[in-house]
This record gives sequence, structure tokens and C-alpha cells, in this order.
Amino acid sequence: MEAVTNKYIKVLVTGASGFIGRKLCLTLAEMGYDVIALCRNIHHPYLIPHRNIQFVKGDILEIESLESAMKDCYQVYHTAAMAKMWCKNEQDFYDINVLGTRNVLNCALKLGVERVVHTSTCGVWGPTLNLPISENDPRAVGFAINYERTKYLAELEVKEFVKKGLDVVIVNPSRVYGDGPITDSNTVSKMVNGYINGTWHFIPGDGNAIANYVFVDDVVNGHVSAMGNGRNGERYILGGEDICFNSFFETLRRITGKNRNLFKIPVRVIKAYSQFEAFKTRFFSLTPYFLPEFADRLNCNQQYNSNKAIAELNYRITPFTIGISKTIEHLQKNALWKN
Amino acid sequence: MEKLTALVTGASEGLGKSFALELAGRGMDLVLVSLPNSGLNHLANYLRLNFNNKVFCIEKDLTEANSAYDIFKMLEEHKVKVNLLINNAGLGNWSWFEEKNIAFYKTQIDLNITSTVLLTRLFLNHINKNEQNYILNVGSLGGHFIVPKKQVYGATKSFIGYFTKCLQLELSGTKVNISLLSPGGINTKPELLVLNHSLKGMAKATILEPEVVAKAAISGVLKGQKEIIPGLANRFLVLLDKIIPGFLKEIIIRRKLKAILNV
Repeated sequence: MEAVTNKYIKVLVTGASGFIGRKLCLTLAEMGYDVIALCRNIHHPYLIPHRNIQFVKGDILEIESLESAMKDCYQVYHTAAMAKMWCKNEQDFYDINVLGTRNVLNCALKLGVERVVHTSTCGVWGPTLNLPISENDPRAVGFAINYERTKYLAELEVKEFVKKGLDVVIVNPSRVYGDGPITDSNTVSKMVNGYINGTWHFIPGDGNAIANYVFVDDVVNGHVSAMGNGRNGERYILGGEDICFNSFFETLRRITGKNRNLFKIPVRVIKAYSQFEAFKTRFFSLTPYFLPEFADRLNCNQQYNSNKAIAELNYRITPFTIGISKTIEHLQKNALWKN
Repeated sequence: MEKLTALVTGASEGLGKSFALELAGRGMDLVLVSLPNSGLNHLANYLRLNFNNKVFCIEKDLTEANSAYDIFKMLEEHKVKVNLLINNAGLGNWSWFEEKNIAFYKTQIDLNITSTVLLTRLFLNHINKNEQNYILNVGSLGGHFIVPKKQVYGATKSFIGYFTKCLQLELSGTKVNISLLSPGGINTKPELLVLNHSLKGMAKATILEPEVVAKAAISGVLKGQKEIIPGLANRFLVLLDKIIPGFLKEIIIRRKLKAILNV
């Protein structure tokens, strides 16, 4: 049964068809909030219907549609972003992630929204050195990746609006996985699904590069508690477990019971291939499978420390084995539907 | 080899931060200099934790008259011996000459020229010239070319080029290696990146990530390279510059200038 405590409190979620946004809408609806779910297409297949969710057609780049959606909302969750690793028009990254965020914040300030939770990413720190990164640590490398650069610029926008008196809390999820659609912006689902179907054949490098994987439900809960308990202007890493490629695929093998032959491909081979892809993309505008700036990352660790969120937001991490089991179950069920 | 200690100016962000990370990764101890309240202590803590090296922070405005003197005095007091000096702090501009006021140009010249000269001068007192020591001065590829809207900046970097090459001759009998770094564009401040990322073709190829430049520079200075030009496209440009006759370059620059003026 849904809760009644939050009845009639209206909240806006941007990016309602996104990997995080769609589950966030559902969770808020279950908590009893009146959810205004902003999406460019209200018939988008990834949207989850619920009687407390009202799908509103709009775009964060069209200020009028944004204002009418945000009217009378107490709180705003800004999850909308261009999160793909590549898009045809590079300018889209800047427009959606930076200008879009500015529009949302401007609108919230104008309409007197109580608090905005802004979804950023651990990508603003990028690769890590020997130890996991915390919120105050500096970034170690430049911003070769469009997504990371524009999400960093979006955080600077947030800082400006906090100075102007808007209450905003930033959350930084790491690499998100879980039950959800398989899209270009979610590489983990691609890997898991590929493993299940036997179409994924390789491990990058020696397989010892570590990344941080967070279960989507934890990210959603982290958003809700950032709205309730986060401190204005602060950012919170919403991470999961640090795992290397080898143990990632070993866990998949154990849970699915499927043995796949995975080949370790040296990073320099992947890099060379990615340069060919980049060439293909530049001259023929074809969607690349992999770009050099991402190949460089395969040598790096990306470890993040969620202690601040655990201490201040009562954030909880679902163990990787449990989260990935649920993900596998979901993907297998969906595969059955397709057949 | 004994453990090296490097002093980096302008260390809190951009190329300076990449130098700090690169040097720490090579196991060196560090003296980091940067403006007060620029987040230097966060960076220092991060480096100490990750690399278990010694990091000494000096928050100082290098355009202050006594700053160079104060820095070396602090090093003597704390018995810190530096073997590698990196004169990295600098202030750029991309504007017509009359768009900036005199205070800006004074700061720019004080930082890019005066502090580099004074720190280098005091560093030579600080070290024993018969032991292996290194100096890396950050110039610019702009020091090779005449670039409109970079009038004062480019001139300060030409100064650094002349100064460094001259010292290389003067110090040739000692064990002090002095290198000039001449980078093209670097993707440093993400706030400025929008401009860099809108570039296409050759112009784009000349722009590098700061960690790539830092790595090439440190390798170069330790090998005793006289001038370090990171990036293939940039080395190609310098080569072109040497073989193209003067009048042709003049025409190219004027055509470029026309394009800028018409925007």
C-alpha cells in the first residue's frame, strides 16, 4: 500500500524516462508524492505508469514548457542529462547538461522551489589514483570526455545559483546498474546483457582496472534522502562497491551459471581500434562503438568513497552480488518477453 | 638516485596540478606554490594519501615584491632542499590590447616574467651547481609565432624563451639542466574548454590534455632536453615555421587576422 504522509506534495522530476529518473518517479509515487514527470515524449516506452505520476510533455531547453510543469511544485529532482558517450552534435552535451541545468535552476529560483536535487556524476572526478576519491579531492586529469566536462560545468552553474539563494543539493552517482532499459548511456547493462546472451567476448586489458558500481535502487534512495537530509550546496557521492573487471565477470559467471570464453584484449589494441572508430565517426558521422578518450580510461581505476552520504544521508549500499542478481533476473525475464 | 624534490608554482589548478600529480607519481617530494585560498591543501592531502610523499604548501601571491625571496627563506627555515624548479604560474589573455587595463598587464608581466626570473636567480643560490639539478620554464608555442590578441602574453613567453636559451649557454659548464617547455593549447580550465572544443581539424590537433603535456615535460627535463614541444601537430607547426619564407607567413597571419576582424 502506498504511504499517505506525502499526499498532495507536488514534486517535479526531469529526465523521467532516464535510467535513474524513471525509477525515482516510481519510488516517489509509492511514497505518496504527486509526481510531475517531465519528458519529451509522454508515450516513451521506458516510462512506468502509476496513478500518482502525471506525465507532462516538456523539454528543459524550452523554458515555457519547463515553467508550466514546475508551477506549484515544492521540490525538483533534476535528473535529465545527455549521458551518452557520443552524440552526433557535440554541442548537445553543452546545451542539455549546462544550459538545461541553468534553465531548471533559473525556473526553480523564480517559482520559489523549496529545494532542488541535482543529479551529477562521479565522472566529474574521473579516474582515481591509488585510493578511492572523496568529495573534496581534486580531479587528476583533464576533461577529454564531453559528458564529464559538461557535467562539471553544470556543477558550477549550481554553485552560482546557491549563491543567489536557491537551495540545491548535488548527488554524484558512480557507474549505475540495475533493472532498467538497455541504452547507450548504460554500459553496465550492455555488458551484463551481452554476457547472458553470449555476445560479449572480451575483458579490457589485464582485467584488473577497478570501477565503482552502484545499484539503481540505492541511487534513487540517495536522491530522496538528499532532498530530505542533504546540506544546501553540498555534494554527495552515491557509490557502490569497487570491483575490477575480472571479479565483475567472475560474479556474472557464478550467478548466471554460464561459462563464457572472454578474451583479454590489451588496452593499446583497443586504443588503436578506437582511433579507427574516431576516424569513421569524424568523416562519415557513423555512431562509434568506442572512442579513444574512453580507451584511455581502461587503464585507470575509478574508485569512489560514499562515506559522506552514509554518514549524513543514511545512505546504504546494496552488495554487488545481490544487486547484480536482481539485474540478471530482470534482463532474463525481459528476454523471455521478447521471445 | 637520491629522492628528488620539485617546486611547482601555480600548482593548484591547470597544468600546475598535472605537474604535481605527475611528479608525485614518479615518487618525488613536492613544494607547491599557489595563491591563498586556491584549494592547495586539499590537493596536498590528496597527494600525501595517494603517494605517501612529502608535500610542502606555500600560499603566496607571486606578484608581491618579496614573494620569491620569502619562498626560498621559508625553504631554508624548514630545511627543504629543492632540486627541480618548475616556473609554471602564468596569466594568459585573449583580447585586443586596449580591452584590458594597466593593472592587468602589470600583473601579467610581474607573474610571467619577474617571478620566473627572480625564482630562477634565487634557485641558483639555493643549489650546489656541481650536483644534478633541473629547471623547467613554461613558455608557449605562442612564443614562436606572432598571434593577434596575445600581444603581451606572447611577448612574455618570448622573453621566457630567450631567457631560458641564454641560461642554457651560461650554465653549460654546470650540472644544472634547464629546459624550455613550449606547449600549444592545453585543455586546462573547463570553463574555457567550450572554446577549445569548438575548434576543428589542425587547430584541434594542437590542443592537448594537461596530463599529457605534464608527462612529456617531466620526461624531457629529466633527460636534459633543451626545448620540449609536446604533440606531433605542434612539432609539425614549428617545422613549417622554420621552412616557410617570411613573406608567406606574413600573408597567412594577415589573412587569419582579417577573419578574426570580420567576426
